[in-house]
Amino acid sequence: MATATAAPVDERIKNLGVTRQLLARPEIGALLGAVVVFAFFAVQSSVFRSGAGVANWLDPASTLGIMAIPVALLMIGGEFDLSAGVMVGTVGLTIGLLTGQYGMNTWGALVIALALALALGFFNGYLVVRTKLPSFIITLGTFLMLQGLNLGVTKAVTDTVQADAIDTAPAYRPAYDIFASTVSVGGVEFRVTILWWIALTALATWVLLRTRFGNWIFSVGGNVQAARSVGVPAARTKVVLFMTTAAGAWLVGTMSALRLTSIQANTGIGEELIYIVAAVIGGCLLTGGFGSAVGASLGALIFGMVQQGIVYLGWDSDWFKFFLGAMLLLAVFTNQFVRRLAEESRR
Amino acid sequence: MSETAQADPVPAAAPEAAPLLEVRDIGKYFGSVIALQGVSTQVAPGQVCCVLGDNGAGKSTLIKILSGVHQQDTGEYLIDGEPIRLANPRAALDRGIATVYQDLAMVPLMPIWRNFFLGSEPTKGRGPLRRLDVAKARDITRRELAGMGIDIRDPDQPVGTLSGGERQSVAIARAVHFGARVLILDEPTSALGVKQAGVVLRYIAQARDRGLAVVFITHNPHHAYPVGDRFVLLKRGRSLGDFAKSEVGLPELTRLMAGGAELEELSHELEREPQA
Amino acid sequence: MRKSRRLLSALVLIPLALTALTACQGGKKNEAKTTPGTSGGYTFAVVTHGGSGDAFWTVVKNGAMAAGKQMGDKVTYSSSGDPQQQSQLIDAAVNQKVDGLVVSMANPDALKSSVTKAVAAGIPVITINSGAEDSAAFGAIAHVGQDETVAGKGAGDKLGSMGAHHVLCVIHEAGNVGLEQRCAGAKAGLTGGTVENLQVDLNNPQAAQSTIQAKLQSDKSVDGVLTLNAQVASFAVAAVKGAGSKAKVATFDLNTDVAKAVESGDIAFAVDQQQYTQGYLPIVLLTLYKQNLNTLGGGQPILTGPGFVTKDNAAQVEALTEKGTR
Repeated sequence: MATATAAPVDERIKNLGVTRQLLARPEIGALLGAVVVFAFFAVQSSVFRSGAGVANWLDPASTLGIMAIPVALLMIGGEFDLSAGVMVGTVGLTIGLLTGQYGMNTWGALVIALALALALGFFNGYLVVRTKLPSFIITLGTFLMLQGLNLGVTKAVTDTVQADAIDTAPAYRPAYDIFASTVSVGGVEFRVTILWWIALTALATWVLLRTRFGNWIFSVGGNVQAARSVGVPAARTKVVLFMTTAAGAWLVGTMSALRLTSIQANTGIGEELIYIVAAVIGGCLLTGGFGSAVGASLGALIFGMVQQGIVYLGWDSDWFKFFLGAMLLLAVFTNQFVRRLAEESRR
Repeated sequence: MSETAQADPVPAAAPEAAPLLEVRDIGKYFGSVIALQGVSTQVAPGQVCCVLGDNGAGKSTLIKILSGVHQQDTGEYLIDGEPIRLANPRAALDRGIATVYQDLAMVPLMPIWRNFFLGSEPTKGRGPLRRLDVAKARDITRRELAGMGIDIRDPDQPVGTLSGGERQSVAIARAVHFGARVLILDEPTSALGVKQAGVVLRYIAQARDRGLAVVFITHNPHHAYPVGDRFVLLKRGRSLGDFAKSEVGLPELTRLMAGGAELEELSHELEREPQA
Repeated sequence: MRKSRRLLSALVLIPLALTALTACQGGKKNEAKTTPGTSGGYTFAVVTHGGSGDAFWTVVKNGAMAAGKQMGDKVTYSSSGDPQQQSQLIDAAVNQKVDGLVVSMANPDALKSSVTKAVAAGIPVITINSGAEDSAAFGAIAHVGQDETVAGKGAGDKLGSMGAHHVLCVIHEAGNVGLEQRCAGAKAGLTGGTVENLQVDLNNPQAAQSTIQAKLQSDKSVDGVLTLNAQVASFAVAAVKGAGSKAKVATFDLNTDVAKAVESGDIAFAVDQQQYTQGYLPIVLLTLYKQNLNTLGGGQPILTGPGFVTKDNAAQVEALTEKGTR
């Protein structure tokens, strides 16, 4: 009803304060979390904080991060992709079969796998915008189909459940150097995937905050009707986001295939939720319209640190999932709380 | 799905000083239901035309025709004296007809400046380095809003934290900035308190003074009368009349709105919340 | 403002408190592990590809822990079914400069670089369970396990001698190389019969059972079911009953239910790879290697199976499964 609950027009908050402005950033919760987790493990384990230790936990964080970033963009755009994990396997197997089984040049196999991944992403996106069904359902379908396809095709071609001998293909070495090698820094071998991860975080942040497309991503996730009514190509934006996620899956699949030189047919299954969790820890709203690429990367970093840190402390690994679950809840609580603070600080 | 506007190219000699937007005997049917019939009015630059009516009177059908969501079944729709049929909302926008809906085309979680420029973002640089001109966007947002008399604290503030009146004002300012000639406002004051409604009415007057033709839809004659130049009354899909301000007073308008004699027993409050 | 600040500090403190709590727990555990005054005193890491909570791998873990306790060594156990993650776990162990490493190699290619890195760092490695073919090439000092193909062959042979001609081989983990080898082995062992693979999902027991049942109902010629996991064996028994089939059920691996079912005759036999020893022996071997430079196996895998559990010995084995050592 039209009771006069009007906000006092002339009341102004004089200064917001640096803390409060910081709190309005979506990734601040994850940043806090990362600092706490690092401090916790670093205090107890000298190996964890050593160069080799850092290289070790950055390794899983990097590949997870490379996937978490596009997944975060997609979530900001208001959609999910449950097929992202298994698509990593699809890419790896495609490369594995083309190189190891058919002896194709590694670069050629990478290009074909990329085309396949982009087609799959387009398929996901097109179905979602066309049918207007929840992306949860559509990509769950793709997830199951790819899972079956991965196993079926691999078995049909190799008679086993893995594609191997990837390192026997022509041009394996240069591709390996770019996607899977290690870089020596001060006597410690760091995975080159870490560099990819950092570069992609920067790129995604720039796109999100400093380009028109980034503006559109926020708007289609925040209020798709509003976006459409002011001329934002909402359908195209979403399709591109799905294809970006697929491109991320291609990158990680390529990295895995070249590094491991063999890929199992069940690769990537179950990982899709981990990507989403990393994005959520990083401050992405499940409802869309809010989040950041840096946050998703921090979420991945936390994951990497916890995963390896538990090993360094010699804990019973049976508790790993418990710890992850607790962390997810904490992250969500922190985000909710921080967002409320942010809104308070604006009023 | 999306065709371009089918503007019937009738280069008929337009009468001099033609109104910017005009409807003549316009009507719309949904199956056997007559949603709108025989409604005529016009609005010239620098004028406010108020469309008044109860819920179900046909107000929203009328705006939807004006903004290109629906197409009229009978009658004529003229822009600059030229009869047209708008195929979709984009076609209306292309002709400078901007509609600010009640639920607002805003993304609550995004900052004001991002909302302001959504879909028409200013960029600098070229090729892969083409990027948002953030400084310019912030600056223009602040300036345009100030020009409408809206003093925002911080263009980075999410729109969701603005009050209802402020949000309406941002939407109006945006329409004005992007070259709207006709501004259609769908119940911009209905969800607002008295004070906030007053703020929005001020912005409507601002837009009018800038030379826009404004179509202001409301069910509250108290909101309509102070800013309106013309008043169209709708009831059950038909026009009860199209008056210039000089032809009708507020009491008369209120009486017509409420449907005559019952008025005296009805409080102001009840007028704002009519039964179906 | 003040209230929210307090809330904020609470949010920072909760994880701290939580971690502190778990840290205490961890500390206590560590103390318990390093029983002083015994012979070993080494730190060994066991890194497997088994899922946590998996019945089979729990027994392996129990074996390793028990050996560690007896030898006076500190044993840590970690696992991941994803080869890349498993290799990262190995890297972590190498970083910690453990005295010895026990690795199950379901996907040897993927682990190659990590295992060879460990060997290069001077850490003795023993491979267990799968990966016998690559064990020596990667520089491991021994392999303790069951040859999957040999075991599968044995199972196929035994089923054939019981009169089975059309055997269903139930695979519960899509993409596991070892399981495929078992089925292939069974095919080779079942002379004059056919083996058909069937895919089920271990994480969805109801569906697994109905898949088997549907297969049995639709193809009456199936007279043998070979499952590759003790839990799946129970589903298969129920499915055979549900379908009214006369198919004989045999299984790889053992748990209490299977032992009981073998005793009662619902399951013809169980192929037991005695995985407790796959956890226990490597720790003993590593301790011996560190103290005495002993190496066993002579370059050949030390086979822990196949042992067969039949009606004759089922009762004794059942008692042992309840202790978590069989």
